[in-house]
Amino acid sequence: MSTPDEVTLKLSSSMLRHGSELPLHARETVFSLDDVSVFYGDYEAIRNVTLPIGKNEITAFIGPSGCGKSTLLRSFNRMNDLIPGARVQGTVAYHGTDIYGPDVDPIEVRRRVGMVFQKPNVFPKSIYENVAYGPKVNGIKGNYDDLVEECLTRAALWNEVKDDLKKSAYALSGGQQQRLVIARCIAVRPDVILMDEPCASLDPIATAKIEDLMGELAKDYTIVIVTHNMQQAARVSDRTAFFTAELDDNGIRHGRLVEFGPTRELFSSPSDKRTEDYISGRFG
Amino acid sequence: MSTINPDATALTAAANSLRRSKPHYGERVIRGLLLLAAVVSVLTTFGIVISLLIPSIEFFTEIPIGDFLFGTTWTPLFMNGEFGVLPLVSGTLVITGIAIIVAIPLGLGSAIYLSEYASLRVRKVLKPTLEVLAGIPTVVFGFFALEFLTQLVLVKIFPGIEVFNALSAGIIMGIMIIPTIASLSEDAMAAVPSGLRDGAYALGSTKRQTAMKVVIPAALSGIVAAFVLGISRAIGETMIVTIAAGLQPQLTLNPLQGMQTMTSYIAAAGSGDLATGSIEYKSIFAVGLLLFILTFIMNVFSIRLVRRFRQVYQ
Repeated sequence: MSTPDEVTLKLSSSMLRHGSELPLHARETVFSLDDVSVFYGDYEAIRNVTLPIGKNEITAFIGPSGCGKSTLLRSFNRMNDLIPGARVQGTVAYHGTDIYGPDVDPIEVRRRVGMVFQKPNVFPKSIYENVAYGPKVNGIKGNYDDLVEECLTRAALWNEVKDDLKKSAYALSGGQQQRLVIARCIAVRPDVILMDEPCASLDPIATAKIEDLMGELAKDYTIVIVTHNMQQAARVSDRTAFFTAELDDNGIRHGRLVEFGPTRELFSSPSDKRTEDYISGRFG
Repeated sequence: MSTINPDATALTAAANSLRRSKPHYGERVIRGLLLLAAVVSVLTTFGIVISLLIPSIEFFTEIPIGDFLFGTTWTPLFMNGEFGVLPLVSGTLVITGIAIIVAIPLGLGSAIYLSEYASLRVRKVLKPTLEVLAGIPTVVFGFFALEFLTQLVLVKIFPGIEVFNALSAGIIMGIMIIPTIASLSEDAMAAVPSGLRDGAYALGSTKRQTAMKVVIPAALSGIVAAFVLGISRAIGETMIVTIAAGLQPQLTLNPLQGMQTMTSYIAAAGSGDLATGSIEYKSIFAVGLLLFILTFIMNVFSIRLVRRFRQVYQ
């Protein structure tokens, strides 16, 4: 059995993604959250988050269930708008523009900020039609063959499906479906890809493929990933935000951001006791 | 290591404890009752087919089947009456066609509104209200078509319209089946996993695109099933057509004229004073058999259709 310290040590020495060593202020920020809280009706799911997201970085949100990390992620592309009673306080600025501003069209936001979900939600269409869906609804005319090939190649799926493009997407395995969802997402040419526990329903081999893919995609996209898997956060991300669920004075649970920093630092020398407890497995 | 062979007495004890302590008579009774329930409807179907077949066969020994199927004059109650069923078939098809034209856009439209656009509160009020429409007796719909629709509305639009006409019957029949189509289609669309909607919205789809390009294709087999059920009800519907479309068998496509359908002929002739065993009496069963076969073909065809969509999409 390894002690928690050994686990931390292992994570920091061998599993970290080696890419970003730049301090955040040297990078362009894509998203900048200022004092953001998200409510469902009267219930405040997550409170007062201030956080930047760096361009071409992978930012991981980790924390126990119910800490509001998925809720926060869904405020990046206004997916919370679809939930009756949900509202966002504070400022979610995308390249300097508040996406909750009065003139902002949520559809335009979602065209730039794509999303991959926990369960692979391929459409009941052919593989080809799944990838071509986004460009079609966004009014891009013409022949999609090249685009479909390019996106499937970038999602590391082309070689497996190139002869079956007309087949139903439901014929694919779970891991292939999730890569198809990623291909579908990048076909809209987004700037940011949000991933909400993208490997939660996948086996370890499929998970490894998705993780490799994330590293590749980060060259061109900014990625924010919510994960329950700390090793995954350590392996793939440049920066990590640790959230927790706390009881306030009235005994009501709500999510809080505890610590945010370069993944290497956060895992090797967390500055907050709660982070240390969580990543060493003493809690959560 | 201790022995892995338990001693003999322990084995017997274990075997005894696994033995049934009392016979499960209740289980058998329930099983029998449930089987009976299932068999009743199957037997009824067989009974109907046989009771239709026997008089029909007698009918076709007197009237050649070709004359029946392709004859264009239906005058069974005249002296030397003719038994060409086409006027009844065309009446049924015209009125059902009008009903489909009314019911599919309105039914599917309300389903899309209820499932994709309406707020929870609106849906809670609207859906039960719509379903109340399904509970109105068809005889009431029939008089509504005749007294209100024809005499107050249609007369003003089409001055030459007959008092008994196919148009009013078709429109009201369409309204009658809207709840069936709307309610079942809405169920099918509500059953589409919300993850698919999220996926569509996350790609920058509008509400309309999400509904039309993702939700409806995903719910298509259920929606087609709803259409089929609605159309079957329309074909089999009797009271509305008997009251509002008149009882003159005419081979015409003009919806402003009166028409007789297969069902309204059966109802009218069946409630008259035809002598049992007469050729007119047997004609009721021949028309009934034809109606049964037409509906059956439609059902088989639509089940195939639904299966085909399922294969493509799942």
